[in-house]
Amino acid sequence: MNGLIVNKFMLLILTAFFCLSLIVIYLPILVMIVFSFNSGKYQTLPFREPTFEWYVSLIADNSFINSFFTSLMMASLASIFATILGFLAAYAFSKAKVPAHALLFGIVVCPLVIPMILIGIGMRLQIVSIGIEPALWLVLLGQTLYVLPLAVINLKNRIDKIPKSMEEAAISLGSTRIKSIILILAPICAPSIFATLLLTFTFSFDEFVIAYFLTNFEVTLPIRIWTSLVTGFEPKINAVGTAVFIFSLTLGLIAQFILLFKQTDLDKNKA
Amino acid sequence: MGGSSNTINPWPFLLPALLLCILFFLIPTVNMVILSLTTENGIGLDNFKLFFSTPHLTQALHRSITLAISATIMGSVVAWPLAYFIVFCVNKKWRPLFLLAILAPFWTSFTIRAFSWQLVLSDNGVIAWFIELITGMSVTLGILYTMNASIFGLALFCSMLTTFTLYGALVSIDTKLIEAASNLGAKPFNIFKDIIFPLGLPGWIAGIFLSFIVCVGDYAVPTLLGGGLKPVLAQIMLSILKGTYDLSQAATIAIILAMTVIMCGLPLIIYGMLRRKRVSV
Repeated sequence: MNGLIVNKFMLLILTAFFCLSLIVIYLPILVMIVFSFNSGKYQTLPFREPTFEWYVSLIADNSFINSFFTSLMMASLASIFATILGFLAAYAFSKAKVPAHALLFGIVVCPLVIPMILIGIGMRLQIVSIGIEPALWLVLLGQTLYVLPLAVINLKNRIDKIPKSMEEAAISLGSTRIKSIILILAPICAPSIFATLLLTFTFSFDEFVIAYFLTNFEVTLPIRIWTSLVTGFEPKINAVGTAVFIFSLTLGLIAQFILLFKQTDLDKNKA
Repeated sequence: MGGSSNTINPWPFLLPALLLCILFFLIPTVNMVILSLTTENGIGLDNFKLFFSTPHLTQALHRSITLAISATIMGSVVAWPLAYFIVFCVNKKWRPLFLLAILAPFWTSFTIRAFSWQLVLSDNGVIAWFIELITGMSVTLGILYTMNASIFGLALFCSMLTTFTLYGALVSIDTKLIEAASNLGAKPFNIFKDIIFPLGLPGWIAGIFLSFIVCVGDYAVPTLLGGGLKPVLAQIMLSILKGTYDLSQAATIAIILAMTVIMCGLPLIIYGMLRRKRVSV
């Protein structure tokens, strides 16, 4: 089939363009990783002596470590909340008759098509208006809202493909609705649920604006990185960047793998 | 079909998610609109008048729109050859892997990615070093901390995003269509023009829309690559909330930014609705 629409010359150009794009995309990240092992205060080439100095000073820096654990906690809780709420909502949108379906679905997925800074600023103005002090629990709820559309869309795609008859069979054999969801639907969706957890975790882990607007003194990792970048250069920021890159990349790739390859598995079964 | 036992009551499932959206999204939005309309002499458009008579702010709005449109256009153009290559030139088994290669950096922190470009673009960065190595002359690039650097940084992000949405549209094209057209004598260019392009369009437009939204509200790339001297609206919002703390001004800017998104997105939304109607007919 491929030969029909792409001739040899086109193939060559497209391949070259693809490779060039990969170089452009990965060049800065590779540079950052290289610099994270480079000794010397100023981050300029040529490469001097390799060193672990920046990683050692990173581990010794409590402000980074603490902010990492704060982010870890926030992202874990937000991804769990969003996946649970998202699963329930996706189930309702997929299998139940929801009144004003389009409107309610629109409201739930709307945060996805709004610049994040507007969501953050809206919440900040709201809590100031009603006199709540900025705090971490607000960040948690805000980030849950932010990643909820991802969870709903992902899980709805999966639940849509499961025939209602499975559940109905269980119920006519004496199971309850709740039991059939927990014992039948959830296990079938397990890979998607796992992927959704990872996906929402990575998004929430990297989220900056909401956390920045809804806290005063507690610091998440993106805030700590941001402060370091705008207030002056710390050489260990390359090490931080490399660590964050590898951490997020691993989680994101696993999620993406499950979503993309599970998709093709399903198609195969259908054929 | 079923009796009462078979109909599912949606509310227990829906309510938690809906409640979160109402409390943390709908109510704050309404509150923001009210705040932007509240002035010292009651309700009025004074805040908006003030905004549009402040050159510093209108320039920032102008910059936000220019930046978002330039980056979105560049990214959307680059997305075609990339998605086209992955879908039509790569073995079916390897497609997801090629897509992942493009999307992987997408999963890491936005801030970190913007920062990593500083290392490449700055006057003593990698590009300058490379040019000096080859030509033997030391050069001042002058790219970092300009609008062009911001556009470049965001365009890169847009191209990844649009490649992703376009891939989804292209990969679901029925290959029988292409085979049939080819058997009937259609040339590659005509196959692209009459089959692939129209069927890829929805995915492309979705990517353009999402790209614009992200770009117009971004503060990280404009700060780290564009510098702070010529701020975009998002940077001004950030500095208001952490600095002067003029809440009604912050609300006004937020509403104007939201209106910008709606106005620029409107043609795309109308297009989508028309298309849906046509398909359903």
